[in-house]
Formats: sequence, C-alpha cells, structure tokens
Amino acid sequence: MAFRLTGLKVSPNSATLEEARARVFDFFKAACRSIPSIMEIYNLHDVVTESQLRSSVASEIRKHAQVSNPKVIDLLLFKGMEELGNITEHAKQRHHIIGQYVVGGQGLVQDLSAKDQGNSDFLKKFYNSNYF
Amino acid sequence: MASALRGALLCHLRVPVALSRSNWDPLGSVARFMSSGHDDHLTKEEVIHRVLDVVKSFPKVDPSKVTPDVHFQKDLGLDSLDSVEIVMALEEEFKLEIPDKEADKIDSCNLAIEYIHNHPLAS
Repeated sequence: MAFRLTGLKVSPNSATLEEARARVFDFFKAACRSIPSIMEIYNLHDVVTESQLRSSVASEIRKHAQVSNPKVIDLLLFKGMEELGNITEHAKQRHHIIGQYVVGGQGLVQDLSAKDQGNSDFLKKFYNSNYF
Repeated sequence: MASALRGALLCHLRVPVALSRSNWDPLGSVARFMSSGHDDHLTKEEVIHRVLDVVKSFPKVDPSKVTPDVHFQKDLGLDSLDSVEIVMALEEEFKLEIPDKEADKIDSCNLAIEYIHNHPLAS
C-alpha cells in the first residue's frame, strides 16, 4: 500500500483498565491527527469541518463508555484501528464516510413529521440510518 | 516550440539586479529563524484570544462560562475525552503537535495558553 498509517499496530493485551484507557486516548489522537488527510482524500471540505469529524470520532468512542473489561476495550480498539486504517488507505468511498460519520448521528432522513410514528422498531431504524 | 518561446521571452526580459552590500545577509534570516526570541512570535493576548475562541466553539461548552482561568473538567463539566478533543483542536489551530506527556497535563485554559505561548513553533 502506498499509504499506511505508521504507529498503529496490534499490541499485546492491556493488563489494566488504566492501560486500556491510555490506549483509547492514543487512538483518539491518532485518529484526530489523520483527519486533515482524510478530508483531503475524500474531498470533504464542503460537507464537514475538522471539528465535526473530531466530535464524531469522540461520539463513536463514547458509545462504548460503559465498557470496563480491558479485553473488550482492546477488541474495540482493534476494530477502531482497522476502520481508521481502511479509511486512511482509501479503502472506502466518499459516501461511506459521509453516511457513517457526517450524517450518521442525525439520521439520513431529516423529515420529522408525524408519519414515521409506527410501532415497528425495524422501520424506525430503517428511516434513521443504514449504519447501526 | 517551447524553446522558441523561451528564446523570445529571454530576449525581452530584463531583471534589474539590485544587490546592495548592506542588505546582503546570508545568515541573518537563518539565525532569526533558529532563535528562540519572541520578536516575531505570537503575543500573549493573541494566544489567549485564539485559545478561548477554540474552547468557546466546542459544542458542549457554554461560551459565557469561558474565561482564561477556566478548568476544562471542574468548571466546564467536560470529561477526559472532551479535554483531549479540545487539546487536539488547539493543535490544529496553532499547527502544533503536542507530545502525549504535555497533552495529558493540559487540563485548563491557563495551562494551554502558557504551553502554546512558550512553544517556538506555534503559529
């Protein structure tokens, strides 16, 4: 690959929660530092700002805030690094990034009228986003 | 074609050479670039202003609460991930790369202003 994010590799398991926590911050910093190049690769300057992407990465991390098992955190970190690697290697396309990280939080359909008020959980998720 | 154009251009171009001895200072600019003097550096007021702007623009922060002495977690009610996010935003604003050890210590506007003001590469 022409471009590979150096410094991101699978490391031995975290022994303590503190170590895992420090690794999460390292990962977050690595992700934040690659945001300018990601905006360049996927030509995102007209749809999103760097700080919005940063908040979106932080909210992805915060989804798992209640996890307290270091092994689980390591696994989630590995998945995060894989995702970051894929993104920085341009293994994705522009609409993946926009769908998951730009509009992902607010939902693809911005129509808030009363017609979506069904009982079906599936439909609600369907209207909301492709990415769960 | 290109060489003909180049020849035609060179025939008509005259670049005035004004190399006065007093201005010729091959090492001066390098020495200034390497020096740690604060002459062409950011002023403290500018650093304070820009740091506060970055913190105020953070979505979870109430802009009216932000002062130069504010502590990210105690006063603004942010968590540790938020303060890392602010530090990353400051890195981007001032074109810096703050090493992890220093980044962990920055937990208030005061420390951030101090660190950035003393950093030679902040711009």
